[in-house]
Amino acid sequence: MGTLWRSEEMSMVQLYIPMELAQPTVAEIGELGLIQFRDLNPDVNAFQRTFVNDIRRLDDMERKLRFLRAQIDKASIKLRGDPSTVAAARARSQLEVDELDERLTEHEARVAQMNASQETLNKRYLELTELRHVLKETNVFFEDAESRSEEIRNSGQQEESSLIRGAQDEPESAEEGRATSRGANLGFVAGVVPRARMGTFERILFRALRGNLFMNYAEIDELIRDPVTDETVNKNVFIIFAHGKEIIAKIRKICESLGATLYPVDGNYEKRRQDSAQVIARIDDLKHVLDNTTFTRRSELVKVAETIEVWATIIKKEKAIYYTLNMFNYDQNRKALIAEGWCPTNSINAVRYALRSVTERTGHTIPAILNELRTHKAPPTFHKTNKFTAGFQGIVDAYGMASYREINPGIFTVITFPFLFALMFGDLGHGFIMALFAAWMCRYEVNLSTKKWGEIWATFFGGRYIILLMGIFSMYTGLVYNDIFSKSMNLFGSGWAYHQENNSTAKWVGKYEHTYAFGVDPAWYGTDNALIFSNSYKMKQAVVIGVIHMVFGISLQILNHLHFQRPWYILYETVPQLLYMLSLFGYLVFIILFKWAVHWQNPSEAPGLLNTLIYMVLSPGTILMQLYPGQASVQTFLILLWLLCIPWMLLVKPYMLKYEHEKHIAAGYTNLSQENLSGGDTPSASMDVDRNAVGGHGGHEEMNHEEHFDFGEIMIHQGIHTIEFCLNGVSNTASYLRLWALSLAHAQLSEVLWDMIFVNSLNASAGLGSFLGPIAIVIGFSLWFSATVSILLVMEGLSAFLHALRLHWVEFNSKFYEGQGVKFEPFSFESLMAEEEAE
Amino acid sequence: MGLLTIFISFLVYAGIGAVGFSLVPRGEDQFVYRTAVALTFTSTWLMWAITYLAQLNPLVVPERTWTLHHAGAGDHSSSIAGHGL
Repeated sequence: MGTLWRSEEMSMVQLYIPMELAQPTVAEIGELGLIQFRDLNPDVNAFQRTFVNDIRRLDDMERKLRFLRAQIDKASIKLRGDPSTVAAARARSQLEVDELDERLTEHEARVAQMNASQETLNKRYLELTELRHVLKETNVFFEDAESRSEEIRNSGQQEESSLIRGAQDEPESAEEGRATSRGANLGFVAGVVPRARMGTFERILFRALRGNLFMNYAEIDELIRDPVTDETVNKNVFIIFAHGKEIIAKIRKICESLGATLYPVDGNYEKRRQDSAQVIARIDDLKHVLDNTTFTRRSELVKVAETIEVWATIIKKEKAIYYTLNMFNYDQNRKALIAEGWCPTNSINAVRYALRSVTERTGHTIPAILNELRTHKAPPTFHKTNKFTAGFQGIVDAYGMASYREINPGIFTVITFPFLFALMFGDLGHGFIMALFAAWMCRYEVNLSTKKWGEIWATFFGGRYIILLMGIFSMYTGLVYNDIFSKSMNLFGSGWAYHQENNSTAKWVGKYEHTYAFGVDPAWYGTDNALIFSNSYKMKQAVVIGVIHMVFGISLQILNHLHFQRPWYILYETVPQLLYMLSLFGYLVFIILFKWAVHWQNPSEAPGLLNTLIYMVLSPGTILMQLYPGQASVQTFLILLWLLCIPWMLLVKPYMLKYEHEKHIAAGYTNLSQENLSGGDTPSASMDVDRNAVGGHGGHEEMNHEEHFDFGEIMIHQGIHTIEFCLNGVSNTASYLRLWALSLAHAQLSEVLWDMIFVNSLNASAGLGSFLGPIAIVIGFSLWFSATVSILLVMEGLSAFLHALRLHWVEFNSKFYEGQGVKFEPFSFESLMAEEEAE
Repeated sequence: MGLLTIFISFLVYAGIGAVGFSLVPRGEDQFVYRTAVALTFTSTWLMWAITYLAQLNPLVVPERTWTLHHAGAGDHSSSIAGHGL
């Protein structure tokens, strides 16, 4: 009958796949996305499954990919790849996967190696830089100390400093400074220490050596990069002079413990100069090599970045394939895999065709075979939606997945949902803006679908067609309510003529001439008693539409009962429910329409419908104000009918079931039903696929109940159902009054915003003059417009959306919908990729 | 006028609906779209009809109190021109 009417027919299929064809077949099925596989090895541990090694290998490949991706991120290279081609990537054969593995290993090794060498080079570079600084600064120290030694020598008074004695002896080597050449006693230690530790360093040295040292230090201006922690540190160059090997050794140990790096510096100035030159040359070389390495690494990563997304997709798909393969049964004798799963009956040919194409492509002689199986298991529910209907089906599924092959409320939701929304939102202007927004989203949906603007945007974008229809219907109801941004339009000529009352007061009263052609008459706009008319009109409209919606829902039960071959349920349940609703609330709708249709000569004689209904129930037969002749007997009859329906709903079905059950036992069918039970799972009344097996008549499902036909349980269940329905009859009808309540709130809010914000700004601008006046209007308009969008469109829109949804879920669905189904989730690469996107 | 208009409008809406029916392209979703067309015209006609019916035999008349500002503002005995657009 069409796609959304009922869920698709599903069959259980069995596939025989020869081992060589395993991977390509499952890949092809993944592309199609038509089969939901059953796990045939549920008790097997994840580690004991057949294809564990392949999955491990793929996991390894993913790890390498992650490493490469992290490196790419660190080097801030942009990943390239058009999403649609990326999603379509797949490995055609086992060979391709092996190749990919090799390439990944190669890339990983190369990049890792380059990383390691870069690290070493960096460290070396750092050391050389520090050495350069050390050489530079110690030069200064030596010169410094050397000049001071001149003075000291000249003063000639110190006797304890063996430091200078040597200088006196050999004046020609005075410029060399006190170095180890002077004698075995004097030594120095030079190195670099972090500036933060300088103070501690000095103190420890002083305490440990009891002051027998001379220390000098200088700051290094440039920041040194520490290769280990990757931070920049301030460092100082220091040089310590001390005499005695022991002391020097102690100094060295202290330096090491404090994290200072020591560098060999020669006492000889020439040597130092040569060293310095050498160091600078080496630094240059090193920089060169470092740059080269960085460049090569970067180009390698760029190359990888071009295809990494494609590889990621391929690996993901392969992993999914192997997980699926793990669900299959391995047939030892024929070296084949057996797979079982659900597939829509109409698509079986497509799957067969795909299997054939795989065989042709790989060139094997033995094809994969597909069999249909018969089963008692409950199939999953599959609704074929397109991009337009998907949103509506989504909000139905959120309440509950339809049972297999029951009538799907989604097909009606496409229109009734926007319509009920519009009844609560009705405003031509607001509807127009909403429709415009939705139209923009729909028009540019291809571009917009790739944008990642957050979850809220994604929700709105997913429901763009719903919002579009909501907007269009709101425009229509806005026309009927005659409401555009809280103002009314006079398009067809008002049906009321105003004249002054008593000719002296300021009160004007309308006289009825004809009915306005389309919608609410504009004469009501701005009147004192506008709400008296509009409330009465909207409340009655809400009740009429609500009763029609609910009666429609109950009638859908008929279609379900006929389809599942239990036609007498119509008599047991549907008829009493219909009569219950119609005799009371259908009658209410009738008297509403009747009172409207009749011309009342004297308005005070028009009976109040509320009282009519109350008296009808409380004391039938008593009529206070007559609506039509014969009313008393009609109402009494209807009340009796209404009361009769209650025991009808309560007792008929259980007793008839009991009667059928006893008839079956008497006819000796018990044994047959015992056998049946071994195959089926759910004894629920609606979903057996093959009816032919057991005579195909309404008492069939009781066969499955045979063992547990508990009359008490059925009676209780029916009692609950009846009470629920009877109470809900009243409360749900009243619930539809929210259609009135929300539209009133919307209209009032709209009016308040207009009067308080915009009209006030217009009034204010009148007194402000020709320069400030327009500015006031601009400000007033922006305030009014932003309040309209945020309060009336967004807040009221969400509110009306929610209430319309509630009306569908509770009031409508409870009349006929079972919603006990399971969703059909086929093995599909498309949904796999979509899942990844969402993460 | 009156009730007859309602029946005529029903035919008009139904006619438009029939046109809509025939415009739906053949395909597997045809049933869905035809149902949508039918529901659209049912609901829109229903709303129009209820609104029309509610105003056919009015039991309340509109009253408005003009402020002194407007009281002497000309002859308003014909169709209202005042606040409507």
